[in-house]
Amino acid sequence: MSQDTIIKIDNVTISFWQNNVGVYSLKDLITQRKSPFKTKTILHDINLEVKRGDSIGILGRNGSGKSTLLRTIAGIIKPHHGSVTVNGSFAPILAIGAGLELELTGYENITLLLALYGTARRNTNAVDNIREFSELSDEVLRMPVKQYSSGMVARLAFSISLANDSDILIIDEVLAVGDQGFQAKCADKINQLKAAGTTILFVSHFPEGVLKICKTAILLEDGHITHRGTAEDICKDYQRLF
Amino acid sequence: MQNITRIYALSKRNVILRYKNSLVGFFWGFFKPLLYLLIFIVIFKQNSGIPHYILFVTSGLILWFFFSNVTGQSVGSVVGSSGLLKALNIPAYFFPLSETLSELFNLVLTIIVFLIIMNWGGLVYSPRLLLILPCIILFAVFALGLNLLLCSVNVFFRDIGIIWGTIQPALFFLTPIGYPESNIAPQYRIFMKCNPIYYFIKLGRGIFYDAAPPSMHLWVECIVIAVGMYIIGQFVFNRLKNQFISAI
Repeated sequence: MSQDTIIKIDNVTISFWQNNVGVYSLKDLITQRKSPFKTKTILHDINLEVKRGDSIGILGRNGSGKSTLLRTIAGIIKPHHGSVTVNGSFAPILAIGAGLELELTGYENITLLLALYGTARRNTNAVDNIREFSELSDEVLRMPVKQYSSGMVARLAFSISLANDSDILIIDEVLAVGDQGFQAKCADKINQLKAAGTTILFVSHFPEGVLKICKTAILLEDGHITHRGTAEDICKDYQRLF
Repeated sequence: MQNITRIYALSKRNVILRYKNSLVGFFWGFFKPLLYLLIFIVIFKQNSGIPHYILFVTSGLILWFFFSNVTGQSVGSVVGSSGLLKALNIPAYFFPLSETLSELFNLVLTIIVFLIIMNWGGLVYSPRLLLILPCIILFAVFALGLNLLLCSVNVFFRDIGIIWGTIQPALFFLTPIGYPESNIAPQYRIFMKCNPIYYFIKLGRGIFYDAAPPSMHLWVECIVIAVGMYIIGQFVFNRLKNQFISAI
């Protein structure tokens, strides 16, 4: 692994047990008498190398394995075959609000996620930074997250992922929900981080977004990387899928 | 060190979430054993023939409610934390572990409050009461093992949670909590002996109620049961944990 390679994925295959048609209870298991699970392969033999400071777009249809790939890189899913080597730290992947606890207030969520991520002790200003960036008022942050609009949730989620000063930023469709002002602000922030040397993995269904942020991109189809190249080419390939 | 901070943060979340929207908040946890104590006094006290009946029941009830709460909370802990598990690289066993720890914290508070009630019921304060600490730690290890088993199987078969809710009350009555062991006819005692909770209740009762402290034999039995349950739970959990993400 050379000095400036930050992520290296070798021949990674990911398979999951998948529930056979509707066997979700013990009753079904006994009455239908079939094996409840079959193995389904989500990612086939993925090879990918990311250099420090790169920004890569990941495109693909729904269900092509984009989120699984991101989670594998982040270490959330362990591969059965192949290896994933990562030379840096991650921000939590907060795909539109997942990971936030709906019953807890904004502040409680911030404290919980910062503690789980381990930022709390390193950066005492983290809470202030998050409040400032999300532009959510003190009053809003004292409310349970379940009362937030989806845009507010996206603001909070994205601000928390940014608060972590990590080497690798994974963005999974977070920008789709915020209003125009916040989207522009996020794009600015991403460019600023890019300039500072943060590696960015960007998943989106909007080729325009990918073009704005990424130089290179990959296209996933049914768990295979079918195309890789410059962002322009891949976006064209992606649009040809439909 | 970082893991300790993370487990602490999760346990704190559990405590906050549990009593979030309730009026009396934390104290709700004390009412449940208190209510059952009253029921037992009304129904069974007359005929039980047990001296210091209140102390006898209370010593069993507080341990039972720890067990019932902790398993009830933990069974869905992995499924309920899908958001966090999918967002952060965080070991899944933190969730049943933090549930067990926050419930253990609850138990310590409950014991402190009930020491007053038990004193009124005939408890004599003595250094022997400190033996309750190793007792509840053993019970918590047993509960953690069972929690690991329940919460990991529940990911794939969601009716585990429902089945457990049905089994629990049956276990409660099978365990001699409100009645003495001698009430069970000799030919059925085998069922009582097969119930692992019986040994922990007996241990707690040995510390709070009986004239003599619990025997070495009983301590060893509890250690074997606790460690055995933990090993089984950990084994099943480890076999299943890599498949959690796809199923939650």
